[in-house]
Amino acid sequence: MLFRVDPASAVPLGDQIAACVRGALADGSAAPGERLPAARELADSLGVNVHTVLRGYQRLREEGLIELRRGRGALIVPGATAPDRARLVSRLREAAAEARELGLTEAEFLDLARTSLG
Amino acid sequence: MNRATYRLRVLAALPFVLALAVHLLVLALRYDRLSDPLATHFGASGRADGFTSRAAFAVISTALLLGLGAGWTLLVRRTALWGAWATAGFTGALLVLLVRDNLDAVDAALVSSPLANLTVAAAVAGLLALGGWALTRLVPPVDAEAPVIDGPRLPLGASEVAGWTRAIGSRPLTVLAVLALAVTPAVLLLAPWPGALLGLLGLVIGVPGFALARIRVSVDRRGLTVRPAIASRPRLRIPLDEVAGADVRDVDALADFGGWGYRVRAHRTGVILRSGEALVVRRTGGREFAVTVPDARTAAALLNTLAERHGKV
Repeated sequence: MLFRVDPASAVPLGDQIAACVRGALADGSAAPGERLPAARELADSLGVNVHTVLRGYQRLREEGLIELRRGRGALIVPGATAPDRARLVSRLREAAAEARELGLTEAEFLDLARTSLG
Repeated sequence: MNRATYRLRVLAALPFVLALAVHLLVLALRYDRLSDPLATHFGASGRADGFTSRAAFAVISTALLLGLGAGWTLLVRRTALWGAWATAGFTGALLVLLVRDNLDAVDAALVSSPLANLTVAAAVAGLLALGGWALTRLVPPVDAEAPVIDGPRLPLGASEVAGWTRAIGSRPLTVLAVLALAVTPAVLLLAPWPGALLGLLGLVIGVPGFALARIRVSVDRRGLTVRPAIASRPRLRIPLDEVAGADVRDVDALADFGGWGYRVRAHRTGVILRSGEALVVRRTGGREFAVTVPDARTAAALLNTLAERHGKV
């Protein structure tokens, strides 16, 4: 799995790391059930703070893409739907970013999302 | 062969030429004072127990020095030049001391050779090793110029940091290692002593087997790292400044590496868990390192890009 982060970018590093995992899952270079590198190890590898990596992993857990288990590290959720879920989350984040650019408030965006659900 | 290699070979051959010259000179000057045959082999007590005729000794000792010299000249590496000098010193000193012990002997069977000869030869070897080591600086390192890195690339922004990592396991190796580890206590408990100690052989296979059964391969700002998935040591690392190029190749475990596991061949080393896609790294010294891993193309491209960037900084 390829991790690439740009410290010069405005996007927080933790989010960039989460995006790498989502992307890898979506394009098949990471498989459901695969173990992610330990946070400390990835932090060493990229030269970033371990808490930054953990923030990224935490975000992925909230999105339902990985499981964090004490002592066992981070696992991509098993199951064939994980890649599709990763793609969905990516598109949702894009939509949210677009809404922010358009100047929509959080409530307005959520209203729109609710309406789309039909 | 470039000039550096040529100079290295000459410097490796030199001590053998010198040793041969000294030995032949001593032999020629003292030929008449040597008994025929000579005592050429000695037991633990220092008493002679093997004999060779004078002429045969001259031929064999010359061939020995020439053979050793040819071997060192052909196979020498820059970091091992001192070894050529040590070898020549040790062998040459032993031959000359042997001639000295045989001087003016009435009967070759009465010749004795003190064990101290070995100490003297070792001291000569040590001195020459230092000399050879000092001469190493006359040979420029092969990678004196920045190496040109070839192979695929991965476009990376100027401020971007990247790392690639992947774990890969081998089921047959896992099964083998678990079996070997299970056999050890079983044999130790059940088999009659002391034969049961052979059961410890299970550990010899099981422990390294287990370490290699599942490995993690990483490419990042520190270079290429291969280590057991469950522990951070032992690890193999090729730093970026030793990377001359990385590529993907299909390897055949048996044909290319003669088996599975950690393999060392004449010009390549490998961590081989299966036949198929492998990341192959060419090192600045000319050796190759291969590790079988999926998605090796990404790993090779990133390694090349990072090595190139490392060279520019």
